[in-house]
Amino acid sequence: MNCNHAAATFLSLSLPPPSSVLFPKSPSAILGPNQILLPRNARLGLRLRLRASNGDSNVQAANWSKWIPEGSFAADKVFRLIAGATASPIGQFVASPTTFLHSIDPRVKLVWLLALVVLPARSHIIMRFALVVYLTLLSIWALPRNAWTDQLGRVYLLSGLLFITSGLGSDGAPALVQLRTPPPAMMGLPNLPVSLTGYAYTIMKLGPLTFTRKGLSVASTIACLTFTVFQSASLCLTTTSPEQLAFALRWFMLPLKYIGVSVSEIVLTLLLSLRFISLVFDEVRNIALGIVSRRLNWKQLTVMETIDIFFNYFRRIFKNIFSHAEQISQAMIVRGFKGDCGTHKIYFLSESSFGMVDIICLLCLTLLIGAALLSEYYLV
Amino acid sequence: MNLSYLTRFPERLVAPLYATLPTTATTSGNRPENFAIEGRNLKFSFTTRQTQDVPVLKDCSIRIPCGQFWMLLGPNGCGKSTLLKILAGLLTPTSGTVYVNGPKSFVFQNPDHQVVMPTVDSDVAFGLGKINLAHDEVRSRVSRALHAVGLSDYMKRSVQTLSGGQKQRVAIAGALAEACKVLLLDELTTFLDEADQVGVIKAVRNSVDTSAEVTALWVTHRLEELEYADGAIYMEDGKVVMHGDAASIRSFIEARQSAYITQINS
Repeated sequence: MNCNHAAATFLSLSLPPPSSVLFPKSPSAILGPNQILLPRNARLGLRLRLRASNGDSNVQAANWSKWIPEGSFAADKVFRLIAGATASPIGQFVASPTTFLHSIDPRVKLVWLLALVVLPARSHIIMRFALVVYLTLLSIWALPRNAWTDQLGRVYLLSGLLFITSGLGSDGAPALVQLRTPPPAMMGLPNLPVSLTGYAYTIMKLGPLTFTRKGLSVASTIACLTFTVFQSASLCLTTTSPEQLAFALRWFMLPLKYIGVSVSEIVLTLLLSLRFISLVFDEVRNIALGIVSRRLNWKQLTVMETIDIFFNYFRRIFKNIFSHAEQISQAMIVRGFKGDCGTHKIYFLSESSFGMVDIICLLCLTLLIGAALLSEYYLV
Repeated sequence: MNLSYLTRFPERLVAPLYATLPTTATTSGNRPENFAIEGRNLKFSFTTRQTQDVPVLKDCSIRIPCGQFWMLLGPNGCGKSTLLKILAGLLTPTSGTVYVNGPKSFVFQNPDHQVVMPTVDSDVAFGLGKINLAHDEVRSRVSRALHAVGLSDYMKRSVQTLSGGQKQRVAIAGALAEACKVLLLDELTTFLDEADQVGVIKAVRNSVDTSAEVTALWVTHRLEELEYADGAIYMEDGKVVMHGDAASIRSFIEARQSAYITQINS
């Protein structure tokens, strides 16, 4: 938010109309030409504006207004960032170029996905990082350049942040929560001997922060798990059509039908959700672009007005999404859906055959699981 | 887009049912078998928060013969879409009777509201879920419907990657795949460029031409689209003002437009 003013707005019917610039007679007096800030009816009422800005002699206001985000966090930049971030497809199926990942049976992909979600939590640190490298290389190889740069950029950023925070935070906890055992010297015991093999519990010290072996273990688990979960899911969604995914899920869940699980309902919900993701991104982007295209002079807006625009933005997103949901439900009714997933058949027209590639993929998965299990015993 | 069906259709033109306000007497009696859509004395109103009744439709009566392509015109807010939603069964009229041949299909103005599934072929097949069909039959119907709207190469495409016009054609293909007897189409060309507008309207014309049982009612604002219609209905302020062949309606609207321009200029 690029604001250096703060204002509180009160409705007051008893006060006479103010006449200064800060208390304008007309609400439009505080606006520049061709500016649209708020709905007209929101500004017509008589208002008392209490403004504080850097220009005022109020020292307190100047003190706290410096904390208001500026520069790269300015409101218009935030909206541009939102519009840009949602422009590229996230978790959307990319039909072409067709890679070998597209040709793998969706059931095999789901098994791989499950394994990649579980393995980082139950394997050696080297194995975890090997999985990250493997997924990175696979993404670069299988996806178009713009898709993998976008995906990997986001996931690496998130995983990196998690690695740093959990690495420095896990063992940097205050002494209050640590065991209150007195140091060995106080109990008449000799100090622990220095490791002859170069072992050190503390890997790095950054001022008050320490990066220890425990921190490394926790950080690598969290970061690698986050990376593998997000990236393997992205990779799966990018190379598998939603119908194939739904088909695979239904295949695995069919036995649950006998214990009363509504498999068809889950499958339809999955398909609708995958359809809805794109609509949500469209809405988020379109409304953000709509605000950016109004070319608001954010510097002239007060904090409350900026916050108001942000609230209006989120309100509009939810309103539009609910409207979409209502229209789609009407469309489903018109197209013959009567609310019972059991009677409305979902046709999966994609051909899915289990071939040699799938067998090789399963063999590779078996080897990977074996290596991960063995790594726990042989890599110390 | 398949253009082979683009033929003239003067023989399909029917005499105007009535070129003035329809009366109850005109539509009274049993429904003749050759009408695919019939609405009699339809009224529809909604209640506002202040519990005021706002009338949207005021005694509307329409009749559309089987196997024809009709258009519904009128200014914004005159009740066209409401009438169409009543015919589709999405709204219940306050009073009056409705008959629409079944099965019927409704296509929304905004294709994003119509397309339910994430990929093209599965969306076209969605409407077939209510019928128990063999997979081969479903594939064949989907393939034919997409061919009719010129999207044969887009079967496996994600809906997200399509343009507005292409999504609109997917929506129409979904309606065509169901082999419906009545197509109710709400301002399909609103979001489309000129080429897509012509493509979509020809796709509907084609489906009406290829089957004597298919009837289409198309809501539009564009007079030039009347060229493709067999008949038209003109509405104003919740009432059917005129109901007849496309040429008569076009002359009527153009006469009103010129009278309005003359009035402004005088």
